[in-house]
This record gives sequence, C-alpha cells and structure tokens, in this order.
Amino acid sequence: MRLLLLGNEAIAYGALASGLAVATAYPGTPSTEIVETLVEFRDRFVHWASNEKSAFELAYGAAVAGARSLTAMKHVGLNVAADPLHSAAYTGVEGGFVIVAADDPWMHSSQNEQDTRWYGVQAYVPVLEPSDPLEAYKYVKLAFDLSEKLRHPVILRSVTRVSHVRAPVEVEPPAPPKWGRFTRDVKRFNLVPANARELRKALVEKWEKIAELSADFITVEGSGDVFIVTTGVAYNYVKEALSRLRLDATVVKLGMSVPVPRSLRNLVGGEAVVVEEGDPVVEVQLRSLGVATRGKLDGYFPRYGELDTGKTALGLSKALGLPYSPPQPPKPPIEPTPRPPSLCPGCPHMATFYILRLATAGLSPVWSGDIGCYSLGINLGQQDLITHMGSSVGLGAGIAVAGKQFVVATVGDSTFYHAVIPQLIDVASKSIPLLIVVMDNAYTAMTGGQPSPSRAIPVEKITEALGLPTFVIDPVEVKKSVEVVKKAVEIVKSGRPAVVVSRRPCALVAVRKARRAGLQLPRYQVDPGRCTGCGLCYNLLRCSAIYRWPDGKAYVDPALCVGCGVCAEVCPFNAFKPEGRREAWLELWQQA
Amino acid sequence: MATSIVVVGVGGQGVLTLARWIGEASLSEGYDVRIAEVHGMSQRGGSVEVHVRFGKVVYAPIVEEGGADYVVALEAVEAVRAFKYLKPGEVLVVNKRVIQPPGRWISEEELLGSLQRSGVKTYIVPAADVARELGSVLYENAVMLGFLSQLLGLPMPPSLDDRNREAFRRGARLFV
Repeated sequence: MRLLLLGNEAIAYGALASGLAVATAYPGTPSTEIVETLVEFRDRFVHWASNEKSAFELAYGAAVAGARSLTAMKHVGLNVAADPLHSAAYTGVEGGFVIVAADDPWMHSSQNEQDTRWYGVQAYVPVLEPSDPLEAYKYVKLAFDLSEKLRHPVILRSVTRVSHVRAPVEVEPPAPPKWGRFTRDVKRFNLVPANARELRKALVEKWEKIAELSADFITVEGSGDVFIVTTGVAYNYVKEALSRLRLDATVVKLGMSVPVPRSLRNLVGGEAVVVEEGDPVVEVQLRSLGVATRGKLDGYFPRYGELDTGKTALGLSKALGLPYSPPQPPKPPIEPTPRPPSLCPGCPHMATFYILRLATAGLSPVWSGDIGCYSLGINLGQQDLITHMGSSVGLGAGIAVAGKQFVVATVGDSTFYHAVIPQLIDVASKSIPLLIVVMDNAYTAMTGGQPSPSRAIPVEKITEALGLPTFVIDPVEVKKSVEVVKKAVEIVKSGRPAVVVSRRPCALVAVRKARRAGLQLPRYQVDPGRCTGCGLCYNLLRCSAIYRWPDGKAYVDPALCVGCGVCAEVCPFNAFKPEGRREAWLELWQQA
Repeated sequence: MATSIVVVGVGGQGVLTLARWIGEASLSEGYDVRIAEVHGMSQRGGSVEVHVRFGKVVYAPIVEEGGADYVVALEAVEAVRAFKYLKPGEVLVVNKRVIQPPGRWISEEELLGSLQRSGVKTYIVPAADVARELGSVLYENAVMLGFLSQLLGLPMPPSLDDRNREAFRRGARLFV
C-alpha cells in the first residue's frame, strides 16, 4: 500500500510492522503524530503519558520485560526523560526499545535548538538518522532489530523536515504485537554502585562493538576524490547541491550517526567535508578518529537554523574553493506586516488573561509563564518568563521569595500534570506567596488537542489535597470571575499561595464538536451606533476575530467569530449584539 | 528537475490541505513528491507556509529563498511575505482576500496593486468570492486548487468530496 505519509506517520507504520506492543509519548511538536497515529490501533498498549519521563519509563519497563516498545518525544522532552535514558544504557533491554526524538532546528515551535545526538554520545545509546519519510519507515524496523540484537536501547533521531514532510511510502500490514514477561536478574537491573560499576565496564566494551556495527549503515554513492560525509535530512540537500555545482564527489551517508563507524577513516582517506543538520556531532567524532574535516567547526556551514540546498551548495563551494553564485531572492513590493501567532477566536485563555489583568490592577504583577498556547499571552504583555515546561511555578516561586513582587504563575492543565506538581508541593510546604492560575482547557491544545488527565483527575483535587486555597471560574463569565479572582489575590497579598482554576475546553475542539453535532453557533456583530471606538475589545481583550476598522470602530469578522460572547461581557457600551442563542452552545462547549 | 511551490496563508484557511491536494494530484501523475508542513504554534492564527516539490526524483523537502517556481497564497498579506521565495520572473497566484494582521490596516487595493506592479507574473483569483457563493469561505482552498490544476497541468486529486469537487471545477473555470 503506497500512502502519502508524514515522516511521523511513517515511523508509526514502521513500528506496527515491527510488532510494536507498547507505545508512549507526551505530545510535542514535531513528534506528536507518531503516537497520534498509533492511538487508533487498539490491540497495542498506546498511552499519552503525563510527561516524557513517565512515558520513557513505561516503555523502558515494557522492553525490560521483553516487549517491543517505543517512546516518542521532542528534543526538549528528552531532557525530561534524560535520567532514565542514561540508566537504560546500563541495564539494556530484552525486547526492542526505540526512543524517537524529534529535533526542531530553527525552533518552529520550540524554546531552543538542541541536537539529540549528543545524548547518544553521552548516554552510550546508538542513534539512527533517517533522511526522509521513506527511510524513517525503514529505519524504525532496523532500530527494533538492532535494539533486540544488542539488547540495548536505540535512538531514532528525526528533525522537523523529516517528521513533518510528506512523501509516498510503501506500507506493509501491521505485525502482531510482541509482548513480554519480566525475568529476574538482580545484578543487571539494580543499579546500586556495586552492580553499576560492572555494567559501566561492560557498556564501554559494548560501545566499541556498536561502533563496528555502525559500518553496516553506511551507503556510498558517486565517485571522485572529494569525500562528503553526511547524514539525515542533510543528505537530500547534498544530492541537489552537487548537481547544482556540477561536482563529482563520493557521498558517504551515515545511517547511524552515533557512534560513527571506526572504519570511516580508511574509507574517506583521512579527509572529508561533513554536512549535517544541527550541531557538528559527526564532525567532532570524525576529528576524534583523526579525519581532517571541513564543516561547521570551521564555519563553512551555519551553526544555527536549518540547512537547505542553497546553504549546502554555498558551504560546499567555500569548503572546496569552487565558484558559486547563489540565487538572488526578489524584494517584496511592500514591507509585509508581521502576523505573529495569536490566541484563537473564542480561546478561553484570552478571557482568563483579561480577567487576571482586571483582578490584579495596580499590583503590576510579574507574569511567570509556561509552555503551551497561553505562551501567546506574550502578545498581551502577560508572559514575562517562558523558559521550559514547568517554569511558571518553578521560577515564579523563586521570584516571589527573592523580593516583594506579586507573582502570577499561569500554566495549562497538561503542563500542570506534566511539570508543576512537585514545585507546587514546595510552594505549599513553604507557603510561598504566589497566585497560581491553571488554565484548564482539558486538552494539550498547542499540539492539536490530545486529551489531558484533567477530566479524570481534576486539578482542584490535587491543589486542595496540598492545602492550597482553590477557586474555580468559568472565564466566559468575565465579571463574576473577576470578583472570585480578587479573593485569591487577597490571599496572596496576605503572604500565602492561592490557586485559580479557569475551566473551559479548547475552543477549536468545541467548535469541531459543534459542527459535527450540527449546532448553529451564535455570532456577534458590532452596532456601529453604540461603538465609540474605545478600543477595549481590540486593544485589551485582543480577540483575533475583532478588527479595528479604519474609522476606529470595532468590526467582527463573521468568518472567524465563534460566539463566545466575551466581547459583549467586556464592552462598556453594549455594542456587541449576538445573532442566535448562546446557552446551548456554551453548555456543549463546556462538555467538549 | 523538480517543480517547487510555496503555499502560504493564515492558520485555519486550509493551507496544509491545499498543499496535500497538490501533492496527491502530482502523485497520481506518477511524480515523486515532498511536502514540508509546519505544525504546532505557527498554526495559531499566524502565517502558515508549506513547501511542495514534485518531479521525477525529489530530494530536498524545502524551497530556498529565490527558488520557487510558484508562490500560491490563500491571503494577500502572506503573498507579500512569501514573495522572497520566487525565482526571478516566476509566478505568483494569490487569492483575492485580506485577513488583516494585528496593527497596521492595509487595503486590498494597495496590497494587490503592489503585487501587480511588481513585475512578477501575478494571477489574482477571486477564490474567496466563489467559495462564499458555494456557501462557505471554507471552500476557497479547493477553488484555488482548481485554478492551479490548469496552471500546473495536474488532475483533480481523488480524495475531494462533492462540495470540494464543485469548488475545484469553479476554480478551474476561472483560469483563462
């Protein structure tokens, strides 16, 4: 069956064809669609975990018991799971264990650029690197076989331009899942120092064997005295750059980029140009083998961002001293206005931010933010720090104890379960004055709406169990909510922590459900006779369905309005009028 | 040689779907295809940019600046933003629709006029108007697809439903 598959879908189908039994993940761009695809297959154990460490441990445990398992995450997710990753190399596994980590060069949807392959070097875990969806499909199968043969975890490193590229992939039917059964082996699975020391020695020896095996993953194309060593998505740019430069070269493609094959030195005759996406991971390894390289370390290729054919051709021409003139992009006829990502029309976070602004008026709070859709509160001046999952409560508590500032920590429900519960325990046990606002929209919305645990385990059950005073609001009830949040603000002003849970599901999910249910959404329109052009709706509320018309008055784009009615709650002049009724819609929405 | 297309628009307009349809159509003609999508944060009401490349053999999944044979825009401000991708002298296809970005208001006349005067071969397609006639602005991507099918010589992709087929046919008739 030939399908036009995303790289991530190809990885999922490759895993199914390999007899995958257990798959876990926490969603994160660009890795999400792997487990999203697997969720449909009910004869396997597939789970959206609360975070990457939990996801990793579940799959690792299954592999220890002999099952074929996979865990998927984005590059920064592997930081969260880094602790068990390093142990997994010591114990090894019994069933095939594949860790898919998807890097995001140039940060399309991430807080930093990171090269997962360093983790392979540091943790002694081999890294396979597919160059496109076709290879992604093939390499998952190779990774399972290799992992089982070595009884060792294997990382499959993807990047945005493999995970989120669609290509025609030939897919085989799924193989029956391979489950397992744990066999006791105390010396192997108890990493107390006496055992771990023995395992460490064995690991270093095993690593040299893996480095030999790495040669099985080399493919050589072309001919010529110039050797180009490449891996992953960079291979594609090399292929097109060579024809553009009309250059004959020997292209050595590494399917396993960590560890590099020791035989490579003989193959390339001691000298090579290295083209890779991310950090100079292959290049550093080659230099350690005594190969004279030209690549990122000398500045022939950029150390940040993604490669493309142009950058690759330019880098090769500089490294080899060839003439090359890159294409000149045309200048746009006018300067394009920036269009940053923004909260969707009807997004409950939009109303929550507005409520928080009113309830904390005069306090000029520090807005300690977090990773998720509410990061877009940055457009509203309501995210002063966003550094990593869980930074809201973690860093916010630090700022609160550093001085006398009023701190509002805003965090979504999925991130709440993922990364702030231990920090909340610290905040509660030390009674650190912090207003914690959990924006519970019931989904991991930024990655496309995976369910979060919020329905099964309500946030307030956890915060109340910690002894934190907790208030629940519905953000579309703006005026009522402001009064409730003010009570929480008073508690924080008196020197204690308090929690507000702002609960309303993601509007995108709700609108989709309403369409399926055939429900006609109400829409709001501006009565130009009443609108004074005060700008409160488009400047302060910032609903992206509301424009400022050139005369200063507000205008609602009917194609964008989803009838949340927050504008009508907010407008002091009663200028917003609904078409259609709101009650049934709000009720269906809250159930979405 | 591969044909390189950059498809742009605003999150929610069906940019990804349009790019996928172009991919399906080229696949059904026996071409190799790569479609580079962008997911996650960039889709939240922001600029969306998808690269499609098809040909006998395709390697690189993305198009560099100055490397596109076609820029296809579902929205006019995004057409201006993606202008840098065009190869000198190549073709811009833009839907007659403006979704105002936050901040500065730009009129449709100013936007489309500047593109027409840019010296680039520019097609302005009233896809949004046709889609509204068909009952929903949601069909504008299928109207654009119909127009492109004539320009690129590609067939209707097999996966369209009845309403989108009608939109496709209306779009194809706009090409003269």
